[in-house]
Amino acid sequence: MTVSTGNLIRPKSPETPSVALSVRNLSTSFRTDRGLVNAVSKVSFDLHRGESVGLVGESGCGKSVTSKSIMRLLPEHVTRYGAESQVQLDGENLLTYSERQMRALRGNRIAMIFQEPMTALNPVFTVGWQLDEALRYHTKLNRTQRKARVVELLDMVEIPNPDRRYYEYPHQLSGGMRQRVVIAMALACEPEILIADEPTTALDVTIQAQILRLMKNLQERTGTAILLITHDLGVVAQTCDRVVVMYAGQVVEQATVRELFHDPAHPYSRALLQSIPQSGKKQQGKRLATIDGIVPSLFDMPDACRFADRCDCRQDLCVTDLPPISEDDSGRSVRCHFPVSDSSSTRSEV
Amino acid sequence: MSGASDESRSLRKFLRHKPAMISFVVILAYVAVAAAVILGDLVSVEDCERRYGPKSTPGFGVSQLFEKRLQDLSWYAEQIEQKLALRQKLKRRLQSRGVEPTNEKIEQELRGLRIGNLRPADISAEDFQIRLDSLWNTVAELDEFDDLNNPGSDTTTIERLTSAAEGQMRSLYAEQTPAEARHRNLHLLFGTDVAGRSVFLRSIYSIRVAILVGVVTGFISVAIGSLLGLAAGYFGGWVDGVVTWLYSTFASIPNIVMLMVLAYMFRGGEIDAWLNDLTGDRFGWLIGGTLDETLIPVFVAFSATFWIGPCRVIRGETLKLRESEYVQASQVMGYSRVRILLRHILPNISHLMLINFSLLFIGAIKSEVILSFLGIGVQSGASWGLMIDAARDEVLNDFFWQIGAATALMFGLVLAFNILSDALQDILDPKHV
Repeated sequence: MTVSTGNLIRPKSPETPSVALSVRNLSTSFRTDRGLVNAVSKVSFDLHRGESVGLVGESGCGKSVTSKSIMRLLPEHVTRYGAESQVQLDGENLLTYSERQMRALRGNRIAMIFQEPMTALNPVFTVGWQLDEALRYHTKLNRTQRKARVVELLDMVEIPNPDRRYYEYPHQLSGGMRQRVVIAMALACEPEILIADEPTTALDVTIQAQILRLMKNLQERTGTAILLITHDLGVVAQTCDRVVVMYAGQVVEQATVRELFHDPAHPYSRALLQSIPQSGKKQQGKRLATIDGIVPSLFDMPDACRFADRCDCRQDLCVTDLPPISEDDSGRSVRCHFPVSDSSSTRSEV
Repeated sequence: MSGASDESRSLRKFLRHKPAMISFVVILAYVAVAAAVILGDLVSVEDCERRYGPKSTPGFGVSQLFEKRLQDLSWYAEQIEQKLALRQKLKRRLQSRGVEPTNEKIEQELRGLRIGNLRPADISAEDFQIRLDSLWNTVAELDEFDDLNNPGSDTTTIERLTSAAEGQMRSLYAEQTPAEARHRNLHLLFGTDVAGRSVFLRSIYSIRVAILVGVVTGFISVAIGSLLGLAAGYFGGWVDGVVTWLYSTFASIPNIVMLMVLAYMFRGGEIDAWLNDLTGDRFGWLIGGTLDETLIPVFVAFSATFWIGPCRVIRGETLKLRESEYVQASQVMGYSRVRILLRHILPNISHLMLINFSLLFIGAIKSEVILSFLGIGVQSGASWGLMIDAARDEVLNDFFWQIGAATALMFGLVLAFNILSDALQDILDPKHV
C-alpha cells in the first residue's frame, strides 16, 4: 500500500458552523386511491457542518418521509412536493434536480444508512467489491488506489483484519460488523451530509453503543454533518447536538439536546420524556407515564394544533387555531400556543 | 474460512458431492455424444434409416426362439439372393453399355445394398448357388417339424440343424474383421425395429435431438423470461402491465394446443416460402432444407410457451429485491438504474435462471418426446418420441427393446440433470455454509 490516502480525514474547519443543508417548508404528499395524503407538512430545519441533529418522533410521524424527501428516494409518480418546499444544498434546491443530477449527489455529497444491517449489503458480492464499487462510481482513483482506500475505510470503522475482511461475503460478518461496513460505504466518498435512518435499532445494546461511539468519532475526524433519525431519545442524548421533534408530519420543537432534556417547551416533548422508563429508587412502584389517545389520521388532519386531542394543557384556542412557530434568538423554536415554561416541574434525569 | 477461496470452496464442495459428480460425468457423456453426432458425424440420418438386419431382432441379449431364428435365416438368404440377382443385372447393364464389368465397379454399385456392414462373399456364382442350395435344404428340413417353439424330444436335433443353417448363412457373406464384427454386435445391441433399423443407432442419434432441443429452448426461454421478468419487476408501471398481460395471455392457452398450432404452421411450407422471399432464398442454405425438416419449428413452439415460467418467477423475485435494503442502499449510493438492475439484481436471480434452465431443459426434452409421439414434433431422422411412438404396437408383442432403449436413455439424462441441479442449488447458495 504505497498510495497515500491521507486526505481521507478532513480537518474540522475552525470558522463558525455554516449551514450544510437547509430544509424549508418541506411538504410531501402522496397520491392514493383515497386522495392526496399529506405525510409531511411545512417542515423546516437547518443542518450545520460538523453537527449532529436528531430527528425524533413516534412511528408514522414523517421522519423517514422527510429523510427520503431530502434524498428524493420516494416514488416520483405518486409523490408531490409543496410549492414552497425547498431542500437547499449550497443554495440550490434539490427538489428541482433531475434524477441524473440527484444520482451524482447521492453517495457522493449526501450519504444514507439504513436500519437493517443484515440485509443492507448485497449477499453475492464481497465486502471489498461493494466498497470498491462506490469508489469506482464516484471517484477517479485507479485499482490499486481504490484497494488501499477500501482497506483504510475498513480500518477506519474499526474492523479487525481489514485485509482479510476485504474478501469476505456479508454472510460471514456479524450484524455489528455489517453496520460498520455500511457506514464505511456511506463515508467512502467523504459526504458532507450523512442521513442515518435508525442505524442502531436492529442491533443489541452493546453493539449499539459501539456503533454510536464510532459514528461520533468519525464525525469529529471528518466533519460530516449527521441527521440521525430515531425514536430512541437515549440515542439522541448520547450523540446529538440538536434535536428536531416531529409529531404528525409537523416539527413541534427544535432545541439543543440540553435544552430539550432539561426544559422541554412543547407538551408533546415533555410527555415523550416522561414516558422514558427510568431506573432508580425514585421510580420504583410507579406506573410508566404514557400519552393517552392516538395520532390523528392522515386523511383527517385537524386544521388546528395536531396534538390538541392528547394534550394535558389544552385550551379553547388549541382546537380552533393552528399554533404559529415561535422562535427565540438562540434558534430554539416551538409550535405551541401555550409553551411550557416551568422547567422545574418537567426536569428529568437523563 | 477465508473468503478469498470462496469459489474454490464451492468447487471443492462440488468435487466431494458424489451424486453431483456422477451426474455431471453422465451429462458430459451425453453432451459429448451429441457433439460427436452434430460435429463429428458419429451417426448420420442415413444410418438411422438403413437396414441392419431382419425386422424386430431382439436386443438386450434376449435369446430368440427357434421359429424366429429360422425366419431370420430365410430373410438373410432372400437378401443375398436378391443381391446376387441384382449383381447379374448390373453386370449385364454394364456390358450393354460397353463397360468391362470389373468387380470394383460392381461393388461400387452394390455398396448401397449392404445389410449394415454385411456384404456378399467374394466367390464365384456357382459356389454361391451351391452354398445357397444347402442352406435352403437345411431350412426345408427344419420346416418339417410341426412346432419349432415346443420341440419336446427333438430339441437337440433342431438346435443342431439351426446352428448348421446359421453357419451356412454366414458362409454366404464375406468374412468380417474383428472390428467389423464388434461394430455389427454394437449395432444390434438393442435389436432392430419393425423395419430392421438399428435401435442402438437411432437412440444414439436421438441424444442429439434431445440435447439440442433442451439447450436451445432452455436458453432462449430463460433469456426471454429473465429479460421480461426483470424489466417488469424493476420498472413496474406500464412495462409491468404489458409483460403481465403477455404472459397471462400466453398462459391461458393450453400448452399442447399452442405447440400443435405452431408445429402445423411450420409444416405448411408457407413460412418457408415467406422467409425465402424475405431473404432472397438464402435461408435454405443457412439451415439446410425446409423449416419442416429442421428442429426450428420445435424450438419456436417451445420457446414461445416456456418463457412464462422463468418470467413469472423472476418478476416476483425482482419485485422483492427492488424493495430490499441493499438495492435501496445502491440507490442511495447514486448508482444508475441500469447498473442496479444488472450489477445488483441480476446476480441475485442468477440461481433462479440456472434452476429454471435445468427445469426447462428437462421439460423441453419430455415435451419433445410427447410431441413426437403425437406425430407433430420431429419429422425426420430419429427421436426418442418417434421411437416410443413406433414401439406402440411392438410392446403388445413383447418387443420391448425399442421403447426400453429410448426410455432408458431419456431416464438417465433427466435423472442426472435433476440430481445435478439439486446439488448445484445447495452448493452455489451463498447463504448455505
